[in-house]
Amino acid sequence: MTPPDFDAIVVGSGMTGGWAAKELTELGLRTLVLEAGRPIIPEQDYVEHKPPWEMPFRGLGDRRALAARQPVQSHSASFDELSHVFWTDDADNPYSTPSDRPFFWFRARQVGGKSIIWGRQVYRWSDLDFAANLRDGIAVDWPIRYADIAPWYDHVERFIGVSGQSEGLAHLPDGQFLPPMALNCVEQHVQRRIADQFGRARVLTIGRVANLTVQHNGRAPCHYCGPCQRGCITRSYFSSVNATLPAAQATGRLTLRPFNIVKRLIMTGNRVTGVHVIDAKTRAERVYSARVIFLCASALESARILLNSGIGNSSDQVGRNIMDHIKWGGASGVFDGWTDRRTIGERPNGIYVPRFRNVTSRHPDFIRGYGFQGGAGRGGWQAALHAPGIGAALKARLSDLGPWSMSFGGFGEMLPREKNRATLHPTLVDAWGIPSLHIECQWSENELAIHRDMNVTAAELLEAAGAKNIEPSTSGPSTPGGTNHEMGTARMGRDPKTSVLNRWNQSWDVPNLFLTDGAAMTSSSCQNPSLTYMALTARACHYAVEQLKRRDL
Amino acid sequence: MERRELIRWLVATAGLQSLNALGAADLIALGRDVHRRPLHRAISPRVERTVAVAAERILPGATEANVGAFIEKMLADWHTDAEREWFVGGLADLDTRCRARAQHDFVDCSEADQVAVLTALDDEVFAAGAKDHWFARLKYLTVYGYCTSEVGMRALHLYPAPWRYDGCAPV
Repeated sequence: MTPPDFDAIVVGSGMTGGWAAKELTELGLRTLVLEAGRPIIPEQDYVEHKPPWEMPFRGLGDRRALAARQPVQSHSASFDELSHVFWTDDADNPYSTPSDRPFFWFRARQVGGKSIIWGRQVYRWSDLDFAANLRDGIAVDWPIRYADIAPWYDHVERFIGVSGQSEGLAHLPDGQFLPPMALNCVEQHVQRRIADQFGRARVLTIGRVANLTVQHNGRAPCHYCGPCQRGCITRSYFSSVNATLPAAQATGRLTLRPFNIVKRLIMTGNRVTGVHVIDAKTRAERVYSARVIFLCASALESARILLNSGIGNSSDQVGRNIMDHIKWGGASGVFDGWTDRRTIGERPNGIYVPRFRNVTSRHPDFIRGYGFQGGAGRGGWQAALHAPGIGAALKARLSDLGPWSMSFGGFGEMLPREKNRATLHPTLVDAWGIPSLHIECQWSENELAIHRDMNVTAAELLEAAGAKNIEPSTSGPSTPGGTNHEMGTARMGRDPKTSVLNRWNQSWDVPNLFLTDGAAMTSSSCQNPSLTYMALTARACHYAVEQLKRRDL
Repeated sequence: MERRELIRWLVATAGLQSLNALGAADLIALGRDVHRRPLHRAISPRVERTVAVAAERILPGATEANVGAFIEKMLADWHTDAEREWFVGGLADLDTRCRARAQHDFVDCSEADQVAVLTALDDEVFAAGAKDHWFARLKYLTVYGYCTSEVGMRALHLYPAPWRYDGCAPV
């Protein structure tokens, strides 16, 4: 029998693929990372300091090209005239939904994946989350608890660098924090007033963010330029390009292959022995072999690979239980005072109000909860875009900062439901002939009740802080997928009959196959999920290597 | 302008063959000139001038910030054909109003007459709350173009970036 080409193959080079590459290579495995998209060279591809006048449309984007090539991707929060190159081409990568139930599938194909364009908010999940399904009798129980993942949160935070403030909240555990970013004057005021009125029942803290506030592991602190989604030449925020992939490279055991699109996995008996890839440019096909395979291609893409391979799905749960976070509920208000103060620089972070619903009490309308993100600030010239007047009067308005205002926007938990499901489309294929997905996903009444409650409590927070002109959000719920926190399509569980992965992110059906991206989530929490994906990836890598050494894989 | 666009423009204007004859300084000047001109002439020189003059009256400094070229670029490559026709059609109202007031087209009127016409129009449009009026679009593009230009961003102290964060700085 010929030895495999590599010890391990990792599919995907983003948030979790980068972590798998780092851990596996550092543990001694010769590792191949397959990336569907192009390579990224920071010195060329990072353009965060390009001023607006050097953009053909000054930041408004090439409207016609976007309508033709990125009509879905352009809805993403951090999508702009320059960062649009970090999202996929919708024409080459089609998928379908029922016409009355849109789902936004935001996708990134390049080395670094979505870790280049993510929002960088990182929050630990707790047993309020890991025990939630058991407590509520919903879906299946997580096979892990906070104690299982806590050391891996430490491990990941120490490496990536997380700035934040410890708050001592059991349901939002503190982590390994670098110094927090500053709250601005009005946010400090609101923080005090909320504390006066709500005690510890509702807390406002600075966001916990994977942007460095001090030099860390050879990476420079943030310089507050603003558009993180265009890259970061000082490597000040965490991405796989900025941190994990260089660490993997340094071991000498990493082979990184961009432009390699995975068509399917090859099985021998109940073991996966190879990965069948298509060269994105030449369309040449070949198979790479390895002893262990990690799928880190993003929740829906990893599920698609399993479905296209016809493996790992004896539970019939692959593609089901799609979850995202519901948003666009909240409120904003205006503050008198501080007119002699302003902010300087672009803080890549805001405030955070940790979940306070269904923590110690029980809400009559919904289970689970939501957290708020947001911030305070003053205006700028944008207010003059629709202002009356011409000439010198209008010009003077450009420098008018206006009053301070503050907004809160909720991120709400979504329940896992089997009917929220991705299946292989019977006919639709991508530009490389690989069957695409049909996605059916909608909010349930629980999410919609959460969304409605966001408006109520955000207004309460602003009232407590003494804001005027408080305006609850008039937006309906976000489109499912729109928060880009999609997860749940190959869930972990305790029983192979009802889950795809065991407590180690290991396929019940295929023991040398691990899946560690968002697909593995058994419930969605209301906190941003990437930190949990990374911690579970590192944990699974250490388990897999132990098993390999014991020859149990 | 993208390099690809630059070459297309040079080919379209038969400028390519003469490139070899130019020195470095000329090339830079040419590049700067090209940068200021849209790829396709979407509007007539007459309309171009009307836009440029109106922009300067709406926001003094617009000319120095080359706002006219930005608006022309947006009309050529961002707006739809229908939106462009709607905008250019609306712009003709400036000539109509100036002829009624001072017997000249807008660009040939005195600055005082131009300002008077624009002020009256601004009052009417804002009294009606008409955000979708062509004049509201002209103002939007003028303000946006100025505030995203190098001249405008420097004047407003938005460029260069401060490279630090202060959440409670004196105004």
